Amino acid sequence: MATIKTLGLSKTYGTGESMVKALDGVDLTIEQGEFLAIVGRSGSGKTTMLDCMGLLMRPSSGAVIVDGTDASTLNDGQRAELRSKRIGFIFQEFNLLPTMSAMENILLPLRYSGGDRKAARIRAEGFLEEVGLAKRANHRPTQMSGGEQQRVAIARSLINEPTLVLGDEPMGEVDTDTANALLEFMRRINAERRVSFVIVTHDLDLAARTDRVIRLRDGHVISDERPSRQLVQRPAAAAAA
Amino acid sequence: MEILRNLWRRKLRTTLTVSGIVMGIFALTTMGSLAEHFNVLLGGGITYYGGSIQVTDDKSNGGFGAGAMSLDTLQKIQQVDGVLAAGPAVGTSAKPGSVSTVSFGVPDYIMNFDATTTAHSPFKISVASGAFPNDASRFQVTLGSTLASEFRKHVGDTIMLPVRPKDATSDFINHRFTVIGVLDQTLTAPDNGAYVSLHDAQMLLGESLPAALRGTVNPYQLITSVVAYGRPGVNLDALATRITAVVPGVKATKPSDLVSSFKSGGAIFTFMTTAAALLALIIGGLSVVNTMIMSVTERTREIGLKKAIGAKTRNILSEFVAESTAMGLIGGLIGFLLGMLMTFLLNNGDPSGGLFLITPRLTLIALVFAVALGAGAGVIPAMRAARMDPVTALRAQ
Repeated sequence: MATIKTLGLSKTYGTGESMVKALDGVDLTIEQGEFLAIVGRSGSGKTTMLDCMGLLMRPSSGAVIVDGTDASTLNDGQRAELRSKRIGFIFQEFNLLPTMSAMENILLPLRYSGGDRKAARIRAEGFLEEVGLAKRANHRPTQMSGGEQQRVAIARSLINEPTLVLGDEPMGEVDTDTANALLEFMRRINAERRVSFVIVTHDLDLAARTDRVIRLRDGHVISDERPSRQLVQRPAAAAAA
Repeated sequence: MEILRNLWRRKLRTTLTVSGIVMGIFALTTMGSLAEHFNVLLGGGITYYGGSIQVTDDKSNGGFGAGAMSLDTLQKIQQVDGVLAAGPAVGTSAKPGSVSTVSFGVPDYIMNFDATTTAHSPFKISVASGAFPNDASRFQVTLGSTLASEFRKHVGDTIMLPVRPKDATSDFINHRFTVIGVLDQTLTAPDNGAYVSLHDAQMLLGESLPAALRGTVNPYQLITSVVAYGRPGVNLDALATRITAVVPGVKATKPSDLVSSFKSGGAIFTFMTTAAALLALIIGGLSVVNTMIMSVTERTREIGLKKAIGAKTRNILSEFVAESTAMGLIGGLIGFLLGMLMTFLLNNGDPSGGLFLITPRLTLIALVFAVALGAGAGVIPAMRAARMDPVTALRAQ
């Protein structure tokens, strides 16, 4: 079963002469365990696409189907429920809560999904261990670097064991080395847990290191390609050199 | 814990807001404790006067303002149809000549203790230690709790009654009485009373008369009023009317008139408490609304994030209302404790026992009011937060 599917997804902003079509009939299927990027210039519709896929925004027409559930038939509460259990988010600016420690930030989604807190804590400790932040569990975001904060944010996106993680320019605020480390971590999670990752980015090098690149322009999908393994390896090799 | 951390993010603002609630609840507590004191005082009066008929001479204004009347009148009242029992009441001031420009309570008094009629009263008094005087008692007194604590008297001590005023005239007379009992606290009139035998009360009444009159009257034939009780099922107002009609030279006050008078007195204090509550509502409420609106504006992205990770409208609503409620609770607790401290200090400095009474009911009202104020004032800002569009909130700068 597809992790997420969009059918004729359209979104318009404004009315009359000021009307803008951000998405125009986008059909897209993302299978379980895919690791892909959505690229495009500013105004191409990629952020709107992410918002619709994340059930943060209702499309003007069309449907978003998450793990077989047509989200257009759900009310706001049901969409929030589905979002909390099936979808994780990573943002460019991390969006960690400043009054909470790293561990509390990671466990925050549990407050709304109502999952097993004890099991989640064990998972959170595992994530922190995996990203080398085990000793920083009680640190506040202000006491951490950008890379560390983003690792905490990734752990938060995974805590409810979602089937899909959506990243909005997740490497936009970190340096190249940190970006590589974050990407490696996400790829490992993707491979080990079969969690699908969709990353919206301007960064074509980053996009080239995913398994599938979808290009948007003016609300349309203009290409949907799977970079060759050689292409995937090249930027990493270049970075190493 | 997170609630407190969020509040502490803006220390000054939270402190100022909580201060608003503190002031309001402080006012509510002090005004309320004053009202509680008088409600208990008036409540005692309502119970006592509502279940008995006060009979005075027809030229007096009744109650503590009664003039003297003949003891013969007592027998006539006892014979009126419908009267179950009637007893003499002889009262004088315990502190004659004391200056009290503003008095919220019952003045200290000396009164005879009449066991027969007291037994019929719906308002019961009891001794905390010792005993009541009887007909044969001479120069023995049972003190109300306030008088006993004011003069630090216990059973076995002696006290000069009436208390000599600083500017006593040369003809002022008082006597040494032995304290044979101290009453349980009633928080109403008996706390300020000194109970002696009828004989001693009449003696003191006679001695309180102007020197020129003392030799002309036999004080042991005088009483200041009669307290009458009706037989079961008898309408006391009707009985009062009958006593006035049947017994010449007396006026029996209808219990319902006295009760209404007490109730109208209580209404003033209820109004004072309500005004204090209103003050708390305006000062505290507006501060909380303002603070929470600012907090919601500052934390727009946080709200967006929470919605993105699955928070429903009710989750956001309850989180913000919890914060405003916490402010109400903290402000309420501090304001109440400060009010309690203030009333304690004021009561402590007052020899008559003080005017303020903190009751469990007042405690509950003050704290529940503070919490409700915080919660209520937080609802509108919280609704604003809860209804935010997640996409707009997430990308807010």
